[in-house]
Amino acid sequence: MEEYPEELRTPPVSLVSLVGCPELHAAISKHLHSEQPPINTLALPDFSKVSLFSRTPKGDDPSPAHVVPGILKRDWLLKHRTRVPSVLAALFSSDQLSGDPAQWLQVCSLLDQIKAVLRSRNIKFLLVVVVPHGDDIGEDRMLALRKRAELDSKYVVILKPDEPSELKQSLSRLGSALAELANTYYRDEGKRVKLRIEKKTSSSSSIELHIRYCFKVAVYAEFRRDWAEALRFYEDAYHTLREMVGTSKRLPAIQRLVEIKTVAEQLHFKISTLLLHGGKVGEAVTWFRQHNGSYRRLVGTPEAVFLHWEWMSRQFLVFGELLDKSSAAITNISSLALGTADKPLSEWESRPAYYYQLAAHYLKEKRACLELALSMSETGNEMDNGAESVVPSAYVGQFARLLEQGDEFAMQSLTDEEYIRFAVVEGKRFQDSYEIIALLKKSYESYSNLKVQRMGSFCGFQIGKEYYMAGEFNNAKQLFDDIASLYRREGWVTLLWEVLGYLRECARKYGTVKELIEYSLEMAALPVSSGTDTQMKYRENGPAGPASLARREEIHKDVFGLVIGESGLSSVERNDDLKITLDNPLHLEIDLVSPLRLVLLASVAFHEQKIKPSAPTLITLSLLSQLPLTVEIDRLEVQFNQSNCNFIIMNAQRPPLAATADDKQGHRVETSSSLTLSTNKWLRLTYDVKSDQSGKLECTSVIAKMGPYFTICCRAESPASMEDLPLFKFEDRVETSPTKDPALAFTGQKATQIEEPDPQVDLNLGASGPALVGERFIVPVTVSSVGHAVYSGELKINLVDVRGGSLFSPRETEAYSLDSHHVELVGISVPEGKDETQLDTDEINKIQKSFGLFSVPFLKCGESWSCKLEIKWHRPKPVMLYVSLGYSPYSFESTAQKVNVHKSLQIEGKTAIVISHRFLLPFRQDPLLLSRIKAVADSDLPASLPRNETCILLVSAKNSAEVPLKLLGMTLQEDNEDTGRPCSVRHEGEDLLEPALLVPGEEFKKVFTVISEDDSSKLTIGTACVTWTRDSGSKAASVLTKQTLPDVNVESPPLVVSLDCPPYAILGDPFTYLVKIRNQTQLLQELQACTTCLRRPTDAQIYRDSSKILSWVSTLNCCIYYIHISLEASLQGG
Amino acid sequence: MATTACFIIVSRNDIPIYEAEVGSATKREDAAQLHQFILHAALDIVQDLAWTTSAMFLKAIDRFNDLVVSVYVTAGHTRFMLLHDSRNDDGIKSFFQEVHELYIKILLNPLYLPGSRITSSHFDTKVRGLARKYL
Repeated sequence: MEEYPEELRTPPVSLVSLVGCPELHAAISKHLHSEQPPINTLALPDFSKVSLFSRTPKGDDPSPAHVVPGILKRDWLLKHRTRVPSVLAALFSSDQLSGDPAQWLQVCSLLDQIKAVLRSRNIKFLLVVVVPHGDDIGEDRMLALRKRAELDSKYVVILKPDEPSELKQSLSRLGSALAELANTYYRDEGKRVKLRIEKKTSSSSSIELHIRYCFKVAVYAEFRRDWAEALRFYEDAYHTLREMVGTSKRLPAIQRLVEIKTVAEQLHFKISTLLLHGGKVGEAVTWFRQHNGSYRRLVGTPEAVFLHWEWMSRQFLVFGELLDKSSAAITNISSLALGTADKPLSEWESRPAYYYQLAAHYLKEKRACLELALSMSETGNEMDNGAESVVPSAYVGQFARLLEQGDEFAMQSLTDEEYIRFAVVEGKRFQDSYEIIALLKKSYESYSNLKVQRMGSFCGFQIGKEYYMAGEFNNAKQLFDDIASLYRREGWVTLLWEVLGYLRECARKYGTVKELIEYSLEMAALPVSSGTDTQMKYRENGPAGPASLARREEIHKDVFGLVIGESGLSSVERNDDLKITLDNPLHLEIDLVSPLRLVLLASVAFHEQKIKPSAPTLITLSLLSQLPLTVEIDRLEVQFNQSNCNFIIMNAQRPPLAATADDKQGHRVETSSSLTLSTNKWLRLTYDVKSDQSGKLECTSVIAKMGPYFTICCRAESPASMEDLPLFKFEDRVETSPTKDPALAFTGQKATQIEEPDPQVDLNLGASGPALVGERFIVPVTVSSVGHAVYSGELKINLVDVRGGSLFSPRETEAYSLDSHHVELVGISVPEGKDETQLDTDEINKIQKSFGLFSVPFLKCGESWSCKLEIKWHRPKPVMLYVSLGYSPYSFESTAQKVNVHKSLQIEGKTAIVISHRFLLPFRQDPLLLSRIKAVADSDLPASLPRNETCILLVSAKNSAEVPLKLLGMTLQEDNEDTGRPCSVRHEGEDLLEPALLVPGEEFKKVFTVISEDDSSKLTIGTACVTWTRDSGSKAASVLTKQTLPDVNVESPPLVVSLDCPPYAILGDPFTYLVKIRNQTQLLQELQACTTCLRRPTDAQIYRDSSKILSWVSTLNCCIYYIHISLEASLQGG
Repeated sequence: MATTACFIIVSRNDIPIYEAEVGSATKREDAAQLHQFILHAALDIVQDLAWTTSAMFLKAIDRFNDLVVSVYVTAGHTRFMLLHDSRNDDGIKSFFQEVHELYIKILLNPLYLPGSRITSSHFDTKVRGLARKYL
């Protein structure tokens, strides 16, 4: 688009001219330029220059007989945009007008001159009277001026430059007057030319003039901003021009076509611009398609074909740029109802990228044709001389030879041969390659931005091709690599083949052997269908060659010739050492996503999923290749994650290579009778594998060696999870599985699990009986080696709640509160005698509440070691004890395989001692406790004690365990020692001198006297503490069992009754029964007492005195009754 | 019959499973590659267009110079793409419909794995016959 002249590219702007008062020109120009629509100004320095506008004397109206030399004059548009104004504004200052008559006369003559000049061109006229500040001009003088200039009053504008507000006002008045006049001018001119068109068509004059007049009308309409009319006339001109193609005979054939196409291009450009400015993208695109359709086939004579392609390319480029520029194209694209029903537009036709791409395409055509034209004309140098003086002539699309004749220049028309020579020389000046790359790049970027990958790839491929041809292999390779990955993914084999061909050549040019081999191998392995190549003749200039089986075989042979070292690459320009040698070995890696999986696919399956250490298992190694010819492998190396399992398979048919002897590294070497890979046929090899190390045994890779210095490392794949080759899915292909056994093909894995060796160490938990709450229960653990030495042994101890408690990890238990541990691991003790020095400081020794970790010293075979776990129960509950020993049987290395022995034991926790207590009142003394009387039924009430009376507390400890216990002592402890006990508790007699033996179920009792001394109603007795131990031979630590005794109520009894009677009575001999009632109240109490005798009802009983005793007992006095009873039968006193 | 026509069946995962040059013109040397490139690039448009309409025949969706790409999308999202220079819309439609029937017959073959290449010579012959008849 930049090639077009400026006046064509921009919309026309009205031109006015200013003359007189030059100091004001700048301000007026500025104002007019900022008007909407803007007006350009042509300022003349003085009145004498007005004569420039006068029409040059020439034949105004060429006679019909006269041959029109061209369609459009080259400078006509420029003239009207820059040199011929529509309006002339003459500025006069007021003093010129109101001065003396001489001045007035001068003004008058100037006016006459101007009018004469303007009349010839119909240029409109306007007068500006500049009135300085404070000055004024007479009404009559103005009238006279107007008459003289023959102007309407509104076209005489008064300008007052000194007053800013007035100036602005008058400037805008001037502006609108100028715009109006300019509009009138262009309308009049248009009308005039239109009239001529009508006249011409009637008189069937030359078609060129018709086109020219249409063009002019359209341009005048554009000046007026009458876009619709402009469009109509441009289209008229365009269509008329198209009719001219076959009919005109004016110029030599080639130049005639060139002229028509150039004019068509201009007209088309104008139309497209107008349509796009109007936001009519759809119409513009349709118009372009018509334009393209009507001129595409106008190729012209064979020697000038390149001109046609260049022209075509330019059409696409310019339209693309126009689309690019008009923002409407982008915003409205989705809402466009594209095209008509029968010829819908594709989405791309409204995208600039599409046009750039095609522009590049045509430019390529042009380049090809130009090269042809160049090669045909051998005499390049002499052409240049002739072409130098050729210049564009006065008409659009025409060229002429410029002849110097002294000072004069003359134009001489060219013959077609001369013109072609000129065009060829011109064409040679341009570097089409870079132009093409630039165009394609624009397109590529545009597609990439739209995320249209496939379109972009096509562009990218074309760019790559251009780079390749331009010798920029690096750029080409980058692009091709990108594209190849897309085609690989989508499986477009033919396209991939083509791209790989270029990549291969790039690699060859660069001398990178590895890439060359990779690309070649991939090409050779591509499933290029051989069905189509017989009918199709591909061109030979693509570096890939025809996509056929024969070509694949050829490439295959090339590669293996190179690999085996039989041939170097002869066709390399840059360096000739493109060989695989000892110094330059080649190693290819094929992983799971590599495109080279086609070349070599290694599937490895273990026959068993779990094996014992040192037990042999079978492994099947299957190789598949899609290369067109059979491949002989010299040596296969199978690698495992346990490197001592690696083994090598040698090809028996090949002589052992010298190099292989060095790198055996002591691996097992197997020999196979044949290691030949045929196309799409699994090579299955089955071998034994044995590993001593437990854990995972995985086959990592298979390295195939072909030729002395070429290796392919192929990642091993499990048949079960192997992805098939997407490119090789054929309807009629037999499904082959990597192993013969179909089950193995479906489930086979490249890894197997090797179990741990059986432990040869005994772990014993020697626990006896249930544990007792409170004691440190000892669980002896014995580790005795029966076959293995124990290196870096480690005991792990876990205590788990039997009822579904999880195995607490040490971290979790920390979060728990201490109370939650009803059972805890207290310690681990190593028996005396074993020297403690063995336990190094750095050895692990961790004990948590329910978890312990303890290291076991080194044990030789046959030795044993033991330790004791101390576990303490706080509550009676069963607990599972897990002990596991991990050790390595061979060495101290921490990485060595560990063997684990597990043992578990459920231990019941039981309560050993149950403590109970009872209160007893003193013998035959009965205080009246009111609370007992009131609530007889309530037995749950805490015991009540009389105040200041001696009570007896009986504490008993019962052995509820199943083993005999030794009771070491029993005491009552004060709960809060600082405040002192509110009662006195005394124990009659000494503490136990000797431990008391309690067999299961036996009870031990101890008597305490309790005298409450305090006034409070509650009495805290304290805690009963029982010290006991198991009655076992060994010295077990004593255990203290505590139980807090409940509080008792204390009451002061109002009455205390004491009874006194002899311990026995003699039959028939009366005895005295003394009843003593003590009133402890402050008041006199009435007493009523009666004596009853609890007897068997049949027995006779005599009460001597059974009468009611009624008396008063005074305060703090005792009333004593003596009752004499004589017994008649042998009775004991009641 | 069209002078240039390149017919390709593209499986739902964008892999071409059948390709045939069915034009009557003497082959230009680099045509086959170019045709495939154009068809591959047109997949981008098919991808957008296929979901905007319920019709299977998408008509001409792309053009490259005077070559037009017509596309037919089956219910299983297999795409039949034809690059041609003829303007015979009805013929193309009939061609696609008949090829669709052939393709369904291929799919009914229990030994055919959907998405794999069609290598049946019978299918090939039939398709070429249809091309001669309709294009």
